[in-house]
Amino acid sequence: GRGQACSSASLSHTSVELAASFNEVVALRLKFVLKMKILVLLLAVVAVAMANECDLLTRLKVKAQWRRAYSSGHNREDFAQAVWRAIFAQAPDARALFKRVHGDDTTSPEFEAHALRVLAGLDITISLLDQPEALKEELEHLEKQHEGRHIPDNYFDVFKTALLHVLPAQLGRCWDREAWDECFDVIADGVKGHH
Amino acid sequence: MLRLTVLLLLVGYCMAGEGRQYCCSAEDRNIVQKQWDVLWRDTESSKLKIGFGRLLLTKLAKEIPEVVPLFKNVDIEHPTGGAFSAHCLRILNAIDQAINLLDDPEALDAALDHLADQHKVRDGVKKAHFKKMGEILNGALPRVLDDYNAMSWKACFKGILTKIAGKLQG
Repeated sequence: GRGQACSSASLSHTSVELAASFNEVVALRLKFVLKMKILVLLLAVVAVAMANECDLLTRLKVKAQWRRAYSSGHNREDFAQAVWRAIFAQAPDARALFKRVHGDDTTSPEFEAHALRVLAGLDITISLLDQPEALKEELEHLEKQHEGRHIPDNYFDVFKTALLHVLPAQLGRCWDREAWDECFDVIADGVKGHH
Repeated sequence: MLRLTVLLLLVGYCMAGEGRQYCCSAEDRNIVQKQWDVLWRDTESSKLKIGFGRLLLTKLAKEIPEVVPLFKNVDIEHPTGGAFSAHCLRILNAIDQAINLLDDPEALDAALDHLADQHKVRDGVKKAHFKKMGEILNGALPRVLDDYNAMSWKACFKGILTKIAGKLQG
């Protein structure tokens, strides 16, 4: 039957096949080298892409993670509380800036409302990360709201540390610290009006 | 007959309940929060929100043309531009904040008080504008929300809008 035909054919063509398989090996090896080269090149491209500060893909990732972390209702209030407590734990003197909104008691309704306003502002900027024109306008708006309040630059770092501390508590494993690190700076620089 | 009497009494009570009550019961708040949440589920909800906010404000400008100059500094002449888009998002986020605070009446009060202050300093903003906005919202929300309980939304939004407009002269 078919098996026989196969074996007789292979017997009569052994040397030819050997040569062919050798060629194949060479070809495969060449292919492998080529593939490795492409892979190395790809990795290099990825590395360059990753080194990009808050590029479009990173922004989309931050947007999606924020959507989950921001949540709603009481969970959102708790999230805001946690961020602000982490801020005041690092910089107790910062409370003085929030006298008007009862910064001495983060659980007061006035401060609760303020904490949520800040998160709402952050929410606007994050959701606009991929809409440059509107993002620019919103950052200018926030810059105006902050100017004249004498906020030291390091308070923005304090805010960032607090946020990057609380976010993983909201999100668990599925969060990308690097992405947040890079994109938060875009927003903070916009609100500060300088680097 | 008894039912009608109870209903009338209830309506009377709600109208008498000045301040934050306005008949926005715990169940009303639940319903509003749940139905509103649908708008925010998607990552691209910002585009939907901007679109919705733009619809609300341009409709208000059409119905009451005297409000157009009030939005001049956010470039209402170019409703699809960056400045106006950002502003639409700000307004929708303020509505969102109010809705999410519905079950924390004191913090809601503080948040709405702040919004009232922000509107008080804008010369030309009138209570009638907020009344119209309430009507526009009630017409527009069921068009974006598949699930929309008009009674609950009206009950809760009357209080919210009244408080925001509370410090206006006219």
